[in-house]
Amino acid sequence: MDEGNLKYYVLFANYEQGLALHDLLMQDDIPNRIAPAPRAIQGKLSCGMSLRIDPEWIERAKLSIESHGAEYHAIIPLADQINSRRDKYC
Amino acid sequence: MSDYVKMWEDLGMDLENHDLLCQVLPNAVGDVFLTQENRPKAMDFWDLVISEVHGIRPAELIEEQKKGRKVFGTFCVYVPDEVIIAANGIVTGLCGGSQFWVPGGEAVLPKSTCPLIKASVGARLGKTCPYFRIADMYVGETTCDGKKKAYEILGEDVPMYVMDVPQMKREKDILKWKDEITEFAKTVEKFTGNDITPEKLSEAVHIINEKRKALQRVYDCRKSECLPISGRDALLVMQIAFFDDPVRCAQTCNRLADELEQRIRDGVSVVPAGTKRILVTGTPLAVPNWKLHNIIETSGAAVVCEEMCTGTRYFENLVDESKTTLEEQFMALSERYLKTNCACFTPNTERIDDILRMVKEYKVDGVIDCSLKFCCLYDTEKYSVSRALKEAGVPILSLETDYTDTDAEQLRTRIGAFIEMLNG
Repeated sequence: MDEGNLKYYVLFANYEQGLALHDLLMQDDIPNRIAPAPRAIQGKLSCGMSLRIDPEWIERAKLSIESHGAEYHAIIPLADQINSRRDKYC
Repeated sequence: MSDYVKMWEDLGMDLENHDLLCQVLPNAVGDVFLTQENRPKAMDFWDLVISEVHGIRPAELIEEQKKGRKVFGTFCVYVPDEVIIAANGIVTGLCGGSQFWVPGGEAVLPKSTCPLIKASVGARLGKTCPYFRIADMYVGETTCDGKKKAYEILGEDVPMYVMDVPQMKREKDILKWKDEITEFAKTVEKFTGNDITPEKLSEAVHIINEKRKALQRVYDCRKSECLPISGRDALLVMQIAFFDDPVRCAQTCNRLADELEQRIRDGVSVVPAGTKRILVTGTPLAVPNWKLHNIIETSGAAVVCEEMCTGTRYFENLVDESKTTLEEQFMALSERYLKTNCACFTPNTERIDDILRMVKEYKVDGVIDCSLKFCCLYDTEKYSVSRALKEAGVPILSLETDYTDTDAEQLRTRIGAFIEMLNG
């Protein structure tokens, strides 16, 4: 997988876990964005929200998760699919 | 979104088809919102809400229903939320903004019906939207012929109440609308089992006024030369306002406005200096209809105001909070709601006055007047809107579109040329 075109998605069992980790990562100055979990990687336990993290930050994010004992369901890499000019709406 | 499968099953939803919608939403959200840089931190709230749009709020509504509260689904900014809230009811918007639901609507409606109506009917009959399943009663209104007929069809499937909105704004029409609100209040009281007292209505008026003020604060920030928020983000805020708890909506919008005001003081803009500023006017952009804003803002301009139901028509003008009897309060509600300028009224010159005022207030470089296909009222009014703007020397582009993606390239060409012309 092309690392330059990769994003990491942290999935959760519920949005409360996701929000908690979002706040912790922000406290640790680790950029992350709340995003709907791409359907292709949603597991049975996951919820709608995920945290989207750039590859250069994922190791720091994992350390932060470990040090805080933060809850999450899975961390999954996915080729970046967003494109502001794709013009595929809902 | 499997976390909510049990809830959706209990709501009688078509899970297989609903999953198709769940597949397309993340990509669209990513394309429209996650591609933006330097967004306000407070947008985290709306990112969460849209990520969980069929989960968090529906679950909240169901919890409230378990406590005995009733949920009223509405389709129009003329329905007075205050009356419902005064009876301890909950309001949720129901307008469909997705092409996903249109074929379901076309199964029972003529194809020559506007996509908003077709999507709304399709969302109900196709059982793929939790809000349409949760609402205990739908409240319609007579703002267009397509809706009136659609409500007859929806009324076969769900309790439906239709408010008769006047077509003119004479003194007798304001009195008529006051009577209509009074009648609606009786229905709401009966349906909820709760009396509407002057005290309760006064409290409800205050709650909704506070929500309007908070939304106005966000919009006021968009008047700044230093633009602290994109049109796409502001549109999302507006769209979610129709679904959210009104007290929380005011809190989150005020928090966002605090940040936007600070950004203005710090000179933080989401666009380069000199970016052309667009006012969008016309028919509503119900969630998740982001096509027009996304095309405008990825073509080099910024949307700074929406003169539409998912925009200024929703929050401008407050209800007079000084009234103490139901009679006076219903009149105050009538007066406020009939200040909203929809193309269903004749004459409707006040809408043009609004647009001209907003062009100045929001320092607008050009106006895009866009209506949904088959909306005869707004399509017809384009003539007088365009003439007034041309007379005022304001560049105007008139468009018509629907929920499909098929005209996106054509829209890009026309909007791109318009922005190029503005850039001179």
